[in-house]
Amino acid sequence: VVVEDQPDVSAVLSAYNQQGDPTLYEEYYSGLKHFIECSLDCHRAELSQLFYPLFVHMYLELVYNQHESEAKSFFERFHGDQECYYQDDLRVLSSLTKKEHMKGNETMLDFRTSKFVLRISRDSYQLLKRHLQEKQNNQIWNIVQEHLYIDIFDGMPRSKQQIDAMVGSLAGEAKREANKAKVFFGLLKEPEFDVPLDDEDEEGENEEGKPKKKKPKKDNVGSKSKKQDPNAPPQNRIPLPELKDSDKLDKVMNMKEAARRVRLGPECLPSICFYTFLNAYQGLTAVDITDDSSMIVGGFADSTVRVWSVTPKKLRSVKTAADLSLIDKESDDVLERIMDEKTASELKILYGHSGPVYGTSFSPDRNYLLSCSEDGTVRLWSLQTFTCLVGYKGHNYPVWDTQFSPYGYYFVSGGHDRVARLWATDHYQPLRIFAGHLADVTCTRFHPNSNYIATGSADRTIRLWDVLNGNCVRIFTGHKGPIHALAFSPNGRFLATGATDGRVLLWDIGHGLMVGELKGHTDTIYALRFSRDGEILASGSMDNTVRLWDAVKAFEDLETDDFTTATGHINLPENSQDLLLGTYMTKSTPVVHLHFTRRNLLLAAGAYSSQ
Amino acid sequence: MEAAKMASPKSAPKDAQVMAQILKDMGITEYEPRVINQMLEFAYRYVTTILEDAKIYSSHAKKSSVDADDVRLAIQCRTDQSFTSPPPRDFLLDIARQKNQTPLPLIKPYSGPRLPPDRYCLTAPNYRLKALQKKVSSTAGRITVPRLSVGAVSSRPSTPTLGTPSAQTVSVSAKVGAPVSLAGQRFTVQIPSSQPPGKSATPTTPTVQNVLINPSLISPKNILITTNMVAQGTASDPNPLKRKHEDEDDYDTL
Repeated sequence: VVVEDQPDVSAVLSAYNQQGDPTLYEEYYSGLKHFIECSLDCHRAELSQLFYPLFVHMYLELVYNQHESEAKSFFERFHGDQECYYQDDLRVLSSLTKKEHMKGNETMLDFRTSKFVLRISRDSYQLLKRHLQEKQNNQIWNIVQEHLYIDIFDGMPRSKQQIDAMVGSLAGEAKREANKAKVFFGLLKEPEFDVPLDDEDEEGENEEGKPKKKKPKKDNVGSKSKKQDPNAPPQNRIPLPELKDSDKLDKVMNMKEAARRVRLGPECLPSICFYTFLNAYQGLTAVDITDDSSMIVGGFADSTVRVWSVTPKKLRSVKTAADLSLIDKESDDVLERIMDEKTASELKILYGHSGPVYGTSFSPDRNYLLSCSEDGTVRLWSLQTFTCLVGYKGHNYPVWDTQFSPYGYYFVSGGHDRVARLWATDHYQPLRIFAGHLADVTCTRFHPNSNYIATGSADRTIRLWDVLNGNCVRIFTGHKGPIHALAFSPNGRFLATGATDGRVLLWDIGHGLMVGELKGHTDTIYALRFSRDGEILASGSMDNTVRLWDAVKAFEDLETDDFTTATGHINLPENSQDLLLGTYMTKSTPVVHLHFTRRNLLLAAGAYSSQ
Repeated sequence: MEAAKMASPKSAPKDAQVMAQILKDMGITEYEPRVINQMLEFAYRYVTTILEDAKIYSSHAKKSSVDADDVRLAIQCRTDQSFTSPPPRDFLLDIARQKNQTPLPLIKPYSGPRLPPDRYCLTAPNYRLKALQKKVSSTAGRITVPRLSVGAVSSRPSTPTLGTPSAQTVSVSAKVGAPVSLAGQRFTVQIPSSQPPGKSATPTTPTVQNVLINPSLISPKNILITTNMVAQGTASDPNPLKRKHEDEDDYDTL
């Protein structure tokens, strides 16, 4: 059971009772500043974490109690001392000069009512407490108790570098207990198949003219051991749709392709094929590619959704009901016959949204397409008739991202109303609401076992939610800007995240720790993807580059003993340069989407911007 | 996006310069030049609306001039109307807790495309073909198309694909009032419209509706099928059309 920080209604009202004389606030703050700067080196970094939340809360308190001139001089005196990664917040804060400005700004209200979490070692905390409880410093102590939550851990105080890696979110860091719940990060068992051998596969091998032996091969890619993986969720933890025949055929195709897959590594980098959207004056805002890389969809700012066929096979829609009654239903190629040749084209345009389309997602069986838009709806389109089937209304504000579950049927959406919603295609209302973020939910992704959902938000945190009961099981802080890219590793154990700060952070889901930091990009990262077997992580960014990182090396040698699990942080090595396998520049085309084909060819997509 | 060009002081009007400075203070460095015009337009329109509203409020309060309170009231009313913000956090946490308590629904196997009930889909035709036959002028006492009202029916989503569904036709006489127990079968209900003798009216097409009745959704095992016979009168003309329209939205019409 995870303890969620629930704000009390009465706390909201009394959040900013007058704490002492407003004219003395500057004295209080500078007094504390002096104390911290004179403390021992080892404690200084940790205690410096107090500056920012204290500054903001004191400033907001002055504004709320309508001491405008004191607030202004307080701000001017101390805002330059804050860390550089808080500059954006401070700029917004500088425009908040009157109490009326605070109403209606949900993010600021949430900041006021939720406690900013600081993680400090016990020694540093004792030092601080002793100092503040002296009589003349009582006011600051009251403020600290009112607005901050100090999560104490036993161990060595952290260095500035360690702290800098993990702070940055609107609510401080995550409490250690928020990351203690058990997470089933293992994969679900794949059903066993008999893979029938194809004549085509054998032609190359039996050139000597020996008679081909046709033996059905058993699938031994997935289930080597019959035992249940202790980290995997039970098969029926959440209801999943059963496999249809077409799904089984698809899986067989997948396994055949997997056999031909290129093994990637530092010695064998993938080829990258870039799909550039030329003349996209409509403003390309979202891209998705099907799992078998046969179709690509683009969502545009003019509210259209365009689907292209990437293979020579054109897109066809189904015949009308009158024609369908004439075809022979028992023939083998009935799935071909139901398609109307007259409608074959490479491009299909789907009209329906009334605002820019910010997210698109193909269903795993390629029958449906989801698109979410600024108009607050998520639309389900059929890829057999190329018409809109359902409009899911729930978010009344722009929806920033949506994704189908890896098994189909469920999908998740996240938007400006700061929640993510779990839907099923046959329910017009959401099944789960994931509330907890302090700002917009900008990115939503399913875990490969479909039991968990990761959401990245503009409050600079990533939360992992349990689909079964809606609980938040992990909170990851460390990014210094809104998160725009999330990727789970194929084995389900790790999560990679990218944000506007240009860093890719790697997280161990089981332990709830940050295990890697990849520096290199200079602008927002919009695309992240692991290769099919998890050996390479590809990242695409607004700085017009695609970078490849060595994922195997990044995740090995993790010192995750009990000590680090208790304290919640490990020493991150500065090995970004070692892990970087290649940087590939595009011709002024920001990279919006990345996709590894079943054979580990990397596809990338973006719109050419002539600058 | 083109980089911002600072307009030369000679050519740009003062408020454009102020707007550019505001954008710079808020940290926005790259924007198309027309953004300044759009922002100025918005600011002008907003202030005008507020002041007009304030004038109305002050004249309502019979004051001689507009004062700060009127403006404050005008701003507050406009904010609630146009600039809505997402719900507060505690409200969201509350509804989330409620929603997340219900267990995930089980998935029915083999049910074709999994879509919500037709009423919530966009698959229904948004046009209706006008009947070619002339409607005969009404006289009192003539019975026209009776409507079938059935309680608590779930409709099967219409699929635009293969084959015609084979229905077991059971004709239910129009006078049924006694409860009929159904066991989840699909019925084709044909309700012949009874014509008064002597009138050479062209027969109105009987409404055929395929209705799947799912007993699990209905607590009593029996369903009461009643048909409403409505006497045709000119006054009641709008009503039958209205009822009919509503029914067609909910159920499949094949």
